Amino acid sequence: MTLLSLADDAVRKALASGAKAAEAFAMTYRTKSVYIEQDVPKVAEDRTEAGIGLKVAVGKRVAFTSASLEGQKDVGAAVAAAMKAVKMVPEDPDFPGFTSFRVMGKVEKTHDSKTAEAPVKDLVEMALETTAAAKVRKDIAVPKGIFRVQDYELRVANSEGAEGSHRGTLVFLYFTAKSGTKTKAGEGIIKSLGVSLSQQDFQAIGKRLGARSVENLEASALRERIAGTVVMDPLDLGEMLIQTVGSAVNAEDVRRKRSPWQDKKGKKVAAEGLNIADMPRLPAGLSSCAVDDEGNPTADRPLVADGILRDFVHDHYNAALLGGKGGNAFRRAVATIEGAYARPAQCSISNLVVEPGTQSLDEIIGSVQKGVYIEKLAAPEVNPFSGAFALEVRNAAIIEKGELKDHVKYALLVGNMFEGLKNVAATGRELRPSHGFLTATGCCYLPPMAFDGFELVGQK
Amino acid sequence: MGELAKSALKVFEKAGVDFGDMRTEERRSTTVRIANEQLQALSSVVRKGFSVRAFHHGAWGYGSGTSFKLDSVRRAAEAAANIARANAARGLPRSSLKSIKPTRRRVKPVMKIDPADIGLDEKTELAMIVARAQRFNPKVASTFAIYGEWDYEFQVASTFGTDVSWREVRTRIGGQAVAAEGDKRDFAYDFADGTGGYEIVKAVDPNEMGKTIGMEAVELLTAKKPPSGLMTVITDPDISGLLAHEVMGHASEGDEITKRRSFLTDIVGKKVGSPLVTMYDDGTYPGAHGTIQFDCEGTPGHKTKIIDRGIYAGYMHSLETSGTLKMPLTGNGRAENYSRRVWVRMTNTYFAPGPDRFDELVEETKDGLLTHKSISGMEDPVGGGFQAVALMGHLVKNGEIGPAVRGMTLTGKALEILKSVDMASKEFKLSGGFCGKGEEDYVPVSSGGPYMRSKIIVGGG
Repeated sequence: MTLLSLADDAVRKALASGAKAAEAFAMTYRTKSVYIEQDVPKVAEDRTEAGIGLKVAVGKRVAFTSASLEGQKDVGAAVAAAMKAVKMVPEDPDFPGFTSFRVMGKVEKTHDSKTAEAPVKDLVEMALETTAAAKVRKDIAVPKGIFRVQDYELRVANSEGAEGSHRGTLVFLYFTAKSGTKTKAGEGIIKSLGVSLSQQDFQAIGKRLGARSVENLEASALRERIAGTVVMDPLDLGEMLIQTVGSAVNAEDVRRKRSPWQDKKGKKVAAEGLNIADMPRLPAGLSSCAVDDEGNPTADRPLVADGILRDFVHDHYNAALLGGKGGNAFRRAVATIEGAYARPAQCSISNLVVEPGTQSLDEIIGSVQKGVYIEKLAAPEVNPFSGAFALEVRNAAIIEKGELKDHVKYALLVGNMFEGLKNVAATGRELRPSHGFLTATGCCYLPPMAFDGFELVGQK
Repeated sequence: MGELAKSALKVFEKAGVDFGDMRTEERRSTTVRIANEQLQALSSVVRKGFSVRAFHHGAWGYGSGTSFKLDSVRRAAEAAANIARANAARGLPRSSLKSIKPTRRRVKPVMKIDPADIGLDEKTELAMIVARAQRFNPKVASTFAIYGEWDYEFQVASTFGTDVSWREVRTRIGGQAVAAEGDKRDFAYDFADGTGGYEIVKAVDPNEMGKTIGMEAVELLTAKKPPSGLMTVITDPDISGLLAHEVMGHASEGDEITKRRSFLTDIVGKKVGSPLVTMYDDGTYPGAHGTIQFDCEGTPGHKTKIIDRGIYAGYMHSLETSGTLKMPLTGNGRAENYSRRVWVRMTNTYFAPGPDRFDELVEETKDGLLTHKSISGMEDPVGGGFQAVALMGHLVKNGEIGPAVRGMTLTGKALEILKSVDMASKEFKLSGGFCGKGEEDYVPVSSGGPYMRSKIIVGGG
């Protein structure tokens, strides 16, 4: 019996123990990682883990337990814990039961065997290549770099006959570079995500990292206020969209009246021409899969079409209550798969995709008379309910007459993301992935975008 | 020491590495989530795993697993030793670990009521009261409450002769309300937590907590935009704590010093703040969320003075940074769990209380801003910049607290802010949470301090 087949075993044992319905999610994964510290591979790792998440129902009472897995005895303990808990919780009158789909097939290119099999020593070489490439000047060091590859497999099964499997690989890179002297230092930070090592250009990542540290070092403190067009790099912008659009289209937030878009279906929520979809079938997507984490088949879904809100994303529970289609229940984060089995599936976006436009980033910048290009923020955190934000910039440059001028720092980017979506000035053509909080489910693929209505506020 | 640890340490000795250890963990947690006064999820988690690591000539190799078979542990230890030796062969700068005296201890948790002795129905009802109490006004659109308990058992054995085991128990109760009026929406929250048993959440008045959350969410709907620019700010204990934690704390982590990534490198003995500024990292603080018996390397929790009346006093350390910098161990080598590496991490980080009363801070402020609760903060160990987002605030005019203002971002150079501190209150509070290193590796911590008056740049709203 494989560890993944213990999902089926858990369902059988739960039913035999008195559960009227049960759903199990088993997963195994291997993590290999390298940590660069002060230019050298200080720490390297090779780790394995297996675990199971089990939901049991007795009537309208529902409880979730999870356990790391060594073998069948852990399943027995998880079932016993779930059955004990389910007797002590109040009924959920809205509990709709579990899904009954059998999902076959898979999404292309979510698993890359070369990536999965890469030995730690090869990953060390790749991390060192990135580090060396960052040294575009002699005064640059790489104090910290995290490079991680994960190979995972999961199986979901339930008492209604639903079953599905998925296998994937994840690549995560987070590096910092420091330039300058003891008294005046600049820092560059870069992140890159993907499902295969072949998607990563370590030379290009390293060079951009080094350049960011120099730009940060040489940036001057912004004094004034700039209210022009704000062009944004996809990485941090994606995180802002996950927090706002990701929450606004989430059926759980809609049902609980937390979403500012709860009564906006069919109404304008974004600029004309802007299209946003949830695309779990995106080939090589970080969150792509044929089956979601509670056993429903996934499907690509337009959410915002030509600026009009068309749909929300639903898990099985909210689909039953609101009349939508399930397929958006997830436990997996995209920056790390670690511990996903220990969380119950929740309603979530998968790959939130902003439809690309036709302009390159250079063409967008070239079209701006007065504005700013934001490449990196300190922490791209937005109020998910109001959309308001005021964020310190780390890498930003003034745009004048279509050209990048001085780099600036000690400034706040101020605006409202929901208003910004109605004032999109340009959408680029190169899609890049972005993710939210480390254990947050779902991700965003988006191009660089330009907005009117945001401001960059200096210190006076 | 169990047979598995003995076997792992034997592997390390045979491999001839400088150091090796094994940590086993059994992590049990239960959370009850109430959404819109209905049970959203009851989750109980058991994660059992081990971590083995080898250190050789400046390089670390790690392995971990959830299979406790002898062969699995031995293989993981061999792989860790091989990784460390292979990377050491690249000619890494040599470093040595601070050796510690062989210690054998078994430590029980400090708590009055073991959460395991309380029924789930009582815990669920407690969270339900917090949720129901939020709904005091029709403008409260959505309610949420959570009860959580975390019961962790650890064992650490090392080639230094460390053989310790201990149990950490933490509990939490909290909630969040969303208020709405037309297209306007905002939220508020509150929580209480700590290291200890059910007595921590039992001490909370759940009705009062829920009502306060609901009232603050509704208040934010009509709150004005805060002023912006450099101004006098009375930071509440939450925001004072973020300044301590995010900027001065992260930049005082010994590994940021050995990497020379911190703006506080080589700053011991120099002035970094006004004489009102004294700061600690204190893993021994009774009942606080970041309190630990031992760190993940088996070093006992410790109270470390970081700033002494405005003068920088010292850093926090793991075995390695303590050895490299030849400074005393402080018990700050922590890992999120068995499948994550050890870094130098904070525990409970705070500014010490000052001589003034909170009322005096307000009375002596002609034109300023009083913050109320934090939403987030971000570290900047290289630049020493401060960024924190406050949930809300109140204007202070002519010594009186005025109308509420919406959430705002507070920013500026940390040392300039600390040097401008001219009043600090006797009132003091710690708030719990989870802290990441960069974007990962979350460990339980707390941060806090007194109300502090200083000059800070304010923006947003």
